[in-house]
Amino acid sequence: MSPDNHKNIDLKFNTIRKEAEKRRAAFRDAPVPKIHIGMATCGIASGALETKKAFEEALVENNIEARIHTVGCFGHCYAEPVVIIDHPDSGFPPIFYHEVTPGKAKMLVKLFLGDGDPRFEHIYGATEENELIPSVTDFSRFNQEKRIVMEKCGRIDPEDIYDYIAAGGYSTLVRALKLDPEEVIKEVEHSGLRGRGGAGFPTGRKWKLAKSVIEQDKIVICNADEGDPGAYMDRTILESNPHQVLEGMAICAYAVGAQQAMVYVRSEYPLAVKLVTNAIQQAEKLGILGKGILDSTFDLKIDVFQGSGAFVCGEETALIRSIEGYRGMPRHRPPYPVQKGLWDKPTVINNVKTLASVPPILNHGATWYRGIGTQNSPGTAIFSIVGNVVHAGLVEIPMGVSLRTLIFDICGGIPNNKKFKAVQIGGPSGGCLNEDFLDTPIDFDSLTKAGAMMGSGGMVVMDEDTCMVEVARYFLDFTQKESCGKCTFCRIGTYHLLKILRRLTKGEGLEGDLELLETLSQDIQTGSLCGLGKTAPNPVLTSLKYFRNEYEAHAKEKRCPALMCRALTAFYFDLELCARGCDACATCCPVDAVFTTSNRKKGVDQELCVKCGECLVACPPEYDAVRKVSPPHLVPYIEKPPEKNKKDHK
Amino acid sequence: MMLKLLVDNQEIETREGKTLLQACLDNQIYIPNLCYLENVERPSASCRMCFVEIEGIKQPVPSCTVQVRDEMVVKTDTPGVRQLQRTALRLLLSVHDVDCKNCHANKNCELQNIAKFLKVGLKPKRLERYLKETQIDETHPFLNHYPNRCVLCGKCVHICRGKHGQSVLTFAKRGFDTVISTYSVTDVSSLACSDCGSCVKACPVGALALKESS
Amino acid sequence: MNQELTEEEKDTLKHVAIKLETFEKHRGNLIPILQMVQNNLSYLPSEALKIVAQHLGILESEVYGVATFYNQFRFHPPGKYPIKVCLGTACHVRAGDIILENFERKLEIPEGQTTPDRKFSIERVACVGCCALAPVAIIDETVHGHMAPSKVEGLILRIKLQEEMEERENKQHEPGQS
Ligand SMILES: Cc1cc2nc3c(=O)[nH]c(=O)nc-3n(C[C@H](O)[C@H](O)[C@H](O)COP(=O)(O)O)c2cc1C
Ligand code: SF4
Ligand code: SF4
Ligand code: FES
Ligand code: FES
Repeated sequence: MSPDNHKNIDLKFNTIRKEAEKRRAAFRDAPVPKIHIGMATCGIASGALETKKAFEEALVENNIEARIHTVGCFGHCYAEPVVIIDHPDSGFPPIFYHEVTPGKAKMLVKLFLGDGDPRFEHIYGATEENELIPSVTDFSRFNQEKRIVMEKCGRIDPEDIYDYIAAGGYSTLVRALKLDPEEVIKEVEHSGLRGRGGAGFPTGRKWKLAKSVIEQDKIVICNADEGDPGAYMDRTILESNPHQVLEGMAICAYAVGAQQAMVYVRSEYPLAVKLVTNAIQQAEKLGILGKGILDSTFDLKIDVFQGSGAFVCGEETALIRSIEGYRGMPRHRPPYPVQKGLWDKPTVINNVKTLASVPPILNHGATWYRGIGTQNSPGTAIFSIVGNVVHAGLVEIPMGVSLRTLIFDICGGIPNNKKFKAVQIGGPSGGCLNEDFLDTPIDFDSLTKAGAMMGSGGMVVMDEDTCMVEVARYFLDFTQKESCGKCTFCRIGTYHLLKILRRLTKGEGLEGDLELLETLSQDIQTGSLCGLGKTAPNPVLTSLKYFRNEYEAHAKEKRCPALMCRALTAFYFDLELCARGCDACATCCPVDAVFTTSNRKKGVDQELCVKCGECLVACPPEYDAVRKVSPPHLVPYIEKPPEKNKKDHK
Repeated sequence: MMLKLLVDNQEIETREGKTLLQACLDNQIYIPNLCYLENVERPSASCRMCFVEIEGIKQPVPSCTVQVRDEMVVKTDTPGVRQLQRTALRLLLSVHDVDCKNCHANKNCELQNIAKFLKVGLKPKRLERYLKETQIDETHPFLNHYPNRCVLCGKCVHICRGKHGQSVLTFAKRGFDTVISTYSVTDVSSLACSDCGSCVKACPVGALALKESS
Repeated sequence: MNQELTEEEKDTLKHVAIKLETFEKHRGNLIPILQMVQNNLSYLPSEALKIVAQHLGILESEVYGVATFYNQFRFHPPGKYPIKVCLGTACHVRAGDIILENFERKLEIPEGQTTPDRKFSIERVACVGCCALAPVAIIDETVHGHMAPSKVEGLILRIKLQEEMEERENKQHEPGQS
């Protein structure tokens, strides 16, 4: 763009930035306390709406003035609803409170805002270093993280574009617009940024390819389909800071020469859809998107397309088919989307996190970015860590951190004094790694070498009570249901895999099943058309490799060592320990399978029992009489259950 | 421009722009295939039968997706290729109602041909058989469809669309449950199914048939 | 798919037909249109597929082929209180399937179906984003965390009672209108 243009851009943006700064100052300097409430889906699901209402009511009741600031997700999902109270008059720094129920909210208004008592017993930590209270930065969950993509998540109001601009937002777009598109691409290339959608393709190279296609109409698509059933970082980013993604998209579009862009979000994410749509409108209104961006000659129209719930539509060629109004069945590549994509136009498809990494990279420079993470995988990795782990939630760490550090230091390890058993990385396309891999550094290449993959960034931590055969069955159940059905290996092959795993978990394994699992898995890997089929067998192959003895126990002894597979386990009550006359288990059993023995103790009617484990939870710890065994024939004979029990059931 | 390739140590000539599969078939080198249609811009590549090994590429690739290049060196019968082809065939047979005696395509069926070529029995032992409930879909006024014979190659859908601009036949549902459907097509006066029959001819197996009466 | 439309649904369908006109006749609009239809009717009856096909000038079978591909689209009316049980990874590890089973048993319908009185339907969903509360069930928008099999009956009972109360109140407020 011409220098003339540069001046216009600066002029236009400076007016906007001044307005944003004015608004921020007005908020910051207002002489009242501020209450920041995390209101992304995870917060809302944990009751943030009720908490907010309680704050509002309590402020009125107590006649206290304060500002409520709704923000996105902080990533500390284990602690939701999360609230930060900034009450400068009290002399305390801003304080982070976790699990703020409506009751707690009311109490905090009255006692902290009213009387200046921050209620130490409820404090999680101060958000900054100070002399009075320990700060959250003392916890490794905070200080070992490195936030680039999620830096502003949970700190700004996602519904207010000025909040983003006041925090420095869109200034990188301004800088980019004053550079040559080639220079932008070169910077991204130098940064070594690799696609965060799973495969880790170098983003700079992708943009360069798109740029080199001589064609007027190009398209940029942000892939927010996020189909992994246990991952939600893309949603969180869109819900907490949609503008950073839009800024990245605009920079990408400018660099490759596209005037049309699309955010492909799953319709199961209604809040994300709403917030992104709203963000686009706000940006258009300010002239940051749309025609003649910031009075320059660059136009960009961004639309939102709602995906209809098909995991395979995260695959780029299937995603394109679904926007075109067809069944989302992948196509053979080449041609790649950058050559022939949506409506046959050159199309750059990038993941949410990839695009959100772009503004910080251009802002701080490629060298800075290269300094974070590892040689071949610069930057940060974002995981949603769930399962048997103390501090579940979203974590952003530099690439290269070991699994051990992530799971045990940052996320607090395994709860209830259980032993670590395995970690599944990369969702349904990833693999299960055992203890031996805990010191593996987290980066694209090391994970792939170990047999897992970065994939979606879903991470499930499993303790000793988790059965690996059952976990493999769970993931296969998912991929099998989500196969598009186009190609033979994936359509029929995964169905056979699932059937075999199912019969193993039921103790009905056949001779040769393990070998069949193995060869079939390998053929599906090489034979399938798209990434879904190619990676679907990963959970089976890795668990077979690292936990083969568990498979053998299921196949040969009809035994589930982790006591998880319900068909292979049974409950009974240890009569030595069972307290006469106690009814705790009987009242909680959902199917009335607990009967009273002739000496007023309890027995389990094995025919009725659905093995839900409620009795195990209900039995008072001082008796601890419930036993779980595998295989089921280990249950001692107690006495015949009464006939009447059966008549009530069909 | 004419190109020279080396397939199974035999030199063949072909024109630029052809797919490798077509080039081999033209030169009487058989490669099993079910979903391949000539002159289609983007191959469906769904049956996963036509694998070959190409020098310089690590894993077997479906030959219908490869454009011929001069001096390509190709092998059509390596153990790796055969392993994939046999597994693909066994998988297809595991959801196939093998009842050749009562099928109109008997002796004129690609599955039978491929099975013979690959020396695979029509009733594979290691895999359980899973058939769909519907044996015959008779909803279309002129066509019958046999889901348990269909290999979901998609030829019928493609041919119909090519001939009539849009297709009466469509894939429906997803994944393992995918079927060919003519949902709600009861009025076909506009599409002249009665004297077309292209889809029936295109079907490599016996999954489509004109109704007796028509 | 051959259930009769209720009078109310017929009205909505007319409304849908009008809204349809605001969509350009463009194949790329097929999925947004189907989403609009389902948002209004809460499922896709065959009558709706027909008008969508007509609007876009494509065959009904094409519309059917696309609609049946995606999880989002339903071909049966959901219950008044849709129950969604999370079977995302975290919920699965904490035995979400047992919760699902309990709902199925108590309501006597399998997952994916609606009770004959159209009050409840059961669906399985993938991660709803509150894994820390696993296992999770959502009834009519409200998230219920830390589910246990023994909680299932209580939840259903509560809704049934609430229904009865509402009905009674309605009767009191609108005498003669029932
Ligand atoms: C079955 C399957 C599902 C996928 N799902 C997603 C997804 O949900 N989000 C995503 O960004 N990429 C997904 N991908 C990867 C995309 O095809 C594509 O590589 C990616 O969006 C490119 O973006 P990146 O270069 O920024 O990583 C998926 C791939 C496969 C094979
Ligand atoms: S691998 Fe699976 S999802 Fe991919 S094209 Fe084949 S059937 Fe479809
Ligand atoms: S009916 Fe025949 S042509 Fe059509 S998909 Fe099935 S096997 Fe192929
Ligand atoms: S003929 Fe090549 S994949 Fe079917
Ligand atoms: S897995 Fe159920 S809420 Fe995430």
